Amino acid sequence: MLRLVRRRLGSAALSLLLLTTIAFVLSHLTPGGPAYSILGPGAKPDAVAAINHEFGLDLPLWRQYLRWLWALAHLHLGSSYLSNQPVGTLLVSYEKNTILLQLVSLTASLAIALGLGMIHGVYHARGAGRIIGAIELGLYALPSFFVGTLLILWLSMGLGWFPAGGLEDLRLDHQTFGAALSHLALPATTITLLTVPVLSRYFAQSVHEELGRDYVRSAAARGASPLRILFGDVLRNALRPLVTILGLSLPTIFAGGIVTETVFSYPGLGWLLWQSAIGQDYPVLIGIVLVIGVLTVLGNLLADLVNGLLDPRVSYA
Amino acid sequence: MSAPILSLERLGVGLPSHGSGRPVTVLEQLDLTVQPGEMTALVGESGSGKTIAALAAMRLLPPGGTTEGVVRFDGIDLLAQDERRMRALRGRIGMVFQNPLSALNPTRTIGAQVADGHRLHAGGSAAQARVRAIDLLGEVGIPNPARRLDDYPHQFSGGQRQRVMIAAALACDPKLLIADEPTTGLDPLVARQILALLAGLRRSHGLGVLFITHDLSIVADHADRLTVLYAGRAVEWGAARRFFAAPRHPYSQALLGAVPRLGQASLHGIPGLLPDPARRPPGCRFAPRCAYAQAPCEVAYPPPVGDAGEAAACLYPQPAPLLEAGHAAAAFEAGGTAPLLALEHVTVRYGDAAPSLSEVSLELRRGECLGIVGESGSGKSTLGRAILQMLPYQGRILLDGQDLAALPREALRRARRRIQPVFQDPRESLNPRLRVRETLAEPLRLVGMRDKDRLAREVASLLAKVGLDPSLADRFPGQISGGQAQRVAVARALATRPDIIVLDEPTSALDVSTQATLLTLLRDLARSERLATLFISHDIAAVSWLADRIAVLRQGEIVEMADTMRMIAQPNHPYAAALIDTAPRIARR
Amino acid sequence: MRDGVAARLLSRRSLPRGALLGGLLLAVLILALCFALPLVWTADPYALNPVSPLAHPSARFPLGTDEIGRDNLARVLDAGRATLLVAIPGAVITFLAGLIYGLSSGLAPRWADAVLMRLLDAVLALPGLVVLIFFAAILRLSTPSLILLLGLISWPPLARLVRNETRAVRDRDYVQASRQMGAGLFHVATTHLLRVMAPVLAVNFTFLVGDMVLVLSALSFLGLGVQPPQTSWGGLLESALQLVALDPWWLILPPGLLIFASLLSASLIGQGLLARQGGGR
Repeated sequence: MLRLVRRRLGSAALSLLLLTTIAFVLSHLTPGGPAYSILGPGAKPDAVAAINHEFGLDLPLWRQYLRWLWALAHLHLGSSYLSNQPVGTLLVSYEKNTILLQLVSLTASLAIALGLGMIHGVYHARGAGRIIGAIELGLYALPSFFVGTLLILWLSMGLGWFPAGGLEDLRLDHQTFGAALSHLALPATTITLLTVPVLSRYFAQSVHEELGRDYVRSAAARGASPLRILFGDVLRNALRPLVTILGLSLPTIFAGGIVTETVFSYPGLGWLLWQSAIGQDYPVLIGIVLVIGVLTVLGNLLADLVNGLLDPRVSYA
Repeated sequence: MSAPILSLERLGVGLPSHGSGRPVTVLEQLDLTVQPGEMTALVGESGSGKTIAALAAMRLLPPGGTTEGVVRFDGIDLLAQDERRMRALRGRIGMVFQNPLSALNPTRTIGAQVADGHRLHAGGSAAQARVRAIDLLGEVGIPNPARRLDDYPHQFSGGQRQRVMIAAALACDPKLLIADEPTTGLDPLVARQILALLAGLRRSHGLGVLFITHDLSIVADHADRLTVLYAGRAVEWGAARRFFAAPRHPYSQALLGAVPRLGQASLHGIPGLLPDPARRPPGCRFAPRCAYAQAPCEVAYPPPVGDAGEAAACLYPQPAPLLEAGHAAAAFEAGGTAPLLALEHVTVRYGDAAPSLSEVSLELRRGECLGIVGESGSGKSTLGRAILQMLPYQGRILLDGQDLAALPREALRRARRRIQPVFQDPRESLNPRLRVRETLAEPLRLVGMRDKDRLAREVASLLAKVGLDPSLADRFPGQISGGQAQRVAVARALATRPDIIVLDEPTSALDVSTQATLLTLLRDLARSERLATLFISHDIAAVSWLADRIAVLRQGEIVEMADTMRMIAQPNHPYAAALIDTAPRIARR
Repeated sequence: MRDGVAARLLSRRSLPRGALLGGLLLAVLILALCFALPLVWTADPYALNPVSPLAHPSARFPLGTDEIGRDNLARVLDAGRATLLVAIPGAVITFLAGLIYGLSSGLAPRWADAVLMRLLDAVLALPGLVVLIFFAAILRLSTPSLILLLGLISWPPLARLVRNETRAVRDRDYVQASRQMGAGLFHVATTHLLRVMAPVLAVNFTFLVGDMVLVLSALSFLGLGVQPPQTSWGGLLESALQLVALDPWWLILPPGLLIFASLLSASLIGQGLLARQGGGR
């Protein structure tokens, strides 16, 4: 187990190094730079040079990269062009909302998907399985922005049940619980509707595969009941691929359903990403890319470790 | 005689077919009994319906399977029980499967899996079940059972896993044990131990054992009674002793004759193919492949001849044949020719582990067949792949006196063409998406043959060489039998006109009857093409039949190398002697 | 977005037999709508009609009009063409990029494979849509550069799949035998790898087309995809959302349902192909 952790940590570190390099290159691709944004267009060349010197932009690229890494290590990501707030602070406050939204949606999705997937996996080619399969396929083809728009059209506008967006204060602790819930309801529903078919199909497939394995037949030959086989033997093995896919979908989760958040103007990381993209707020953009990358790498590491706990063979591989 | 613990009466099984949707009858009219404390063997090649018979008795058929007839266990008609009653009965019939690695749940400890049966049937606390599990694991011969209780299946060797499976079955306190090919895939020495374990349990626990196998020779020592199945019907059944003394059905005889034995002169495969379950002949199923068949055989299924003790369903039962003794591969005269291939201190190492092959030196002359025998993990396949230059090694491998590792790229490419492999599993060794024609044309194209007509002619002649019909050229590997696929692999190896063929367990994925045919073909080809062959196998009887010399490999080292006759008559090394002892011999009558 | 390739190597037999046929029919229908119907319905998608803004569907405007009176049917068809003409070439580029990278990595020596895979891990750590948004924000995208960008950003999942398959197949006995007969890597790739992988590749290409429609629609919905005056289904939905208080269902449903139908069609075809291959792998 320890060896696995060490190997995984090593590869995660490598991924992070690559990621920061990419982010650095991206930051250099952005047009203008600080001189441009401070002085505006038509600045005199010597003034630009002075500012470039002040920001260290006249140094060789590798030294700039080291300086940039150094700043990064101290979480200095610069300030937003738009709001002038430090990028770090901005990211933390928006990410909190995203995590709240995603936790709610993910919990709901997992609860539904495990149930549906189990039924789908057990009754694979029979009535119940086919119906669930068709529902999954249909949901799978629904784009988030279409679902979101329809929900707003019917539930917010038509019936007036939920606010269509516009969470005034993004600090959720200033809201009443009910108000927070009503703002969460529609985006969480949208994300859940879209996540359930993915997870449930995956789980169904692995339940189905596990049920076909020889050890299931051995258990049946011992006289174990179907429920005992399902929960005592199959469940644990079938969960492993699900953990992997959860790890793989972490980027999406941390990006926070960019589109969904935008549809409902939910102040999460995805919405911030969109705002900064539209407003060409590069420091924030790069910050978001970095945060998502780091969390993804860590998330994949976590998924690997959980899988190691679920499968005794991994630690010896 | 006491009442049988298990009796099958006119058991028939239908399974849903994948293509037409019409159920296909895979087993018909099977009668069979198992007495307490006795072992009954159910013998048949793949596709005979032997496993289906066991699953039908356990009521574990795949969905859509139908049964008829009676399955009586301890006086209870199993086919009449509801599923809940059946579950309680299942543990009373223990079951052990082939391939214990997949039959055990990889993520649960063996202790938990063994304890399962005890808790399900005897009830009681988890602690009690644990104690029982330790007892049972000790009884089946797992050393240090208390310490190993919390280990996982992958931490055990193949033979030990099968012991764990047996312990798990015993935990339900069964009266009958059904063992479905429990020794297949295990090394011969280990297989023998497992069989001895089962035979011992049968006596100590008064267990009835139903032993299902494709290998007649393995049950010869222990079975009390026996039934031979062919294409879903019993062809011969009765007391094992009488059967082995004088088998009467031509199929039983052919099956016995196809198993290579030490000191046997000729091997006879069974020509033809097993009939498709949906298109079985109306009369005797074996008639189309039988040397003694006459017109009446094809009218109706033959009535049994014989008595209550032993009977065969045959109109023309045959007297027991005599297997000729003698050594087959006597064609090679080791003259003063220089070795074609020489290995000098070849060592292969993966990572830091002990070397898979250490300091192996040997020579191979033109036209000679060298057998390499060893258990799994002995390094025999590694040796083959080193010779084929498929993996890095230390030491020297010389072809015609030239060090292969020192050759420049293009010369090495030409040299490698002179050494061709035939692998174990024909399904793995043929690209499933290439037609036979394309597979055989590939080596020819690679040496620059482009002309379509010429390619077609060459392909046809290659097919003829391995005794295949030219019409197979347009089939995909999935559309031909395993034996045919292996012949295609042989033909492909011959296409570049090599000097050396490396046969890596070429018969172990095949049915017994097909094995014999392939071995005969390989011997004839080696002679007619003057090929040097390296025959790698765990089956020392098959090797002794084909090889001029035998090298016994153990843990990467050659422990003994000698002429075949000398080796099987008087091996020097105790390990070689133990291996030879596991092989079936020609019975001295 | 949802994980490209991996999520689909699923469910073989839980589909009714008609899935493939249904998917193909749907695809033909969508293509006919976008490319054949405009020959019949010749209304100008850009012509303003100030007399009847936000008109409900009628005989004159089968799908109504938008807020400045443009014929919605003509706009939906025009947007469809724009969507598909970006998505399909984008899928082709993605496919080729993924295939080439995957094959190279799979056939490369172990150390090179390790390097290429590490690189892929780093790229995979970012959701494609985030990177797309980033670039779309920096560069003002013309249609060709949009196609290129879509193609160059979505390939990693396919590359990983191809690489894993390649690694699995290259250790197979038939490839070993082929090497023994003197075959080079190029021969192995064309004779063995591509033929063995062909069914998997066909399935994944279908899924890729669906993915591209989805990603492009999302990007356009965010205002970063196909640029005005040209529009796409995603863009149409976005402008409809601005008017949501006026309940313009005829502006929301047609582009939404067409995206849905495209994705469903891709899913059905892909799953249908998978089911047909069945155990033949």
